[in-house]
Amino acid sequence: MEIMIYALLSVKKKPERLHALLAGMNGIAGADLHQLSFDEITAVVSNMSRASLIADKSTAMEYAAVIETLSKHFILLPMRFGSVMESNEAIIHMLERNYHDIQQNLLKVERKFEFGLKVFCDSEKLMAELREKSEAVSKTQRTTVAEIKNSASRIWVNKKLKEHRLEELLVTYVDSVIAEITGQLDRLKTISKIKKMVTPTTIIDGVFLLDKALKDELIHAVGDLQNKFPGLNFILTGPWPPYNFVDFTVK
Amino acid sequence: MSENKILFNTGSFDGISEEIGKLTTNAEESRLKLTPDNADSGLAKLVLTLVELIRKLVEKQAMRRVDGGSLTDDEIERLGETLMKLEMKMEELKKHFNLTDRDLNINLGPLGDLM
Repeated sequence: MEIMIYALLSVKKKPERLHALLAGMNGIAGADLHQLSFDEITAVVSNMSRASLIADKSTAMEYAAVIETLSKHFILLPMRFGSVMESNEAIIHMLERNYHDIQQNLLKVERKFEFGLKVFCDSEKLMAELREKSEAVSKTQRTTVAEIKNSASRIWVNKKLKEHRLEELLVTYVDSVIAEITGQLDRLKTISKIKKMVTPTTIIDGVFLLDKALKDELIHAVGDLQNKFPGLNFILTGPWPPYNFVDFTVK
Repeated sequence: MSENKILFNTGSFDGISEEIGKLTTNAEESRLKLTPDNADSGLAKLVLTLVELIRKLVEKQAMRRVDGGSLTDDEIERLGETLMKLEMKMEELKKHFNLTDRDLNINLGPLGDLM
């Protein structure tokens, strides 16, 4: 039987608390949870063969629920869904080999939680506004490629040029929104990871690591951003365990 | 996970579900699924994806140069003709292998979509 790892925890002086907590919890498919430790780091695991692991929504929810509950009591690093090793010994050796990196990551997320911010737009409306702007810029500053010969290739270049300019305007616009977001959140000392233009409607998908105590200030800051950009829809979620802030590769 | 995780939202809950649904659907549909049964079409998809990525990068760079005004009329003419023919050839290949633009935008997991 192989072993699935849910999270790596800094237990320090609370091992009996973890023991009691795990006794009242179940892992995927009702599996018993147990702990494997090396020095001050503990892995929460359950027996689970790789072949029997079904990667569906309900299993992922069960997995996330374990991590969520543990995160309320301990500093932890969530492991990627489906992290399975062949034996208890292999996991303890992994903890030993990666001890320094795990400790560094645990230190980074201490007393902090992850918050997600997605910014949606009505892409047709936004593109129409930008197209209008782009055409205005073309009239005043830029010219299209001369169409004297009016050849097919010239027409093609002009069409592509218009698309290129529109895309540039969209990037500039999204960058300006990101600059506002980071400007607002920097004062809360957040660590952020932001992806832009994930889909035509999801123009920003960001995650932030910050002290849970600053939750209300974060909500307030997002409210200010929403007022500044009424055409966009800001959605803030959290607090989550630090899923996106574990930065080490298991050796 | 009983706690309410949505801390701020001015839109409707249905709207959020729809948008999140789009994100997960895109990721699922655009995954490259190579199996022994579809090795030929899977390989064609992979190769055309790379060709399309390079073609789009070249096109983007070309438009930057046209926009920057560093090309002569003749150079723009030749560039336009070449890129236009490349685009047409790509369309033919996609049709031949029964692929759409969406098929060629492979999902790279945590890195997002390729294009």
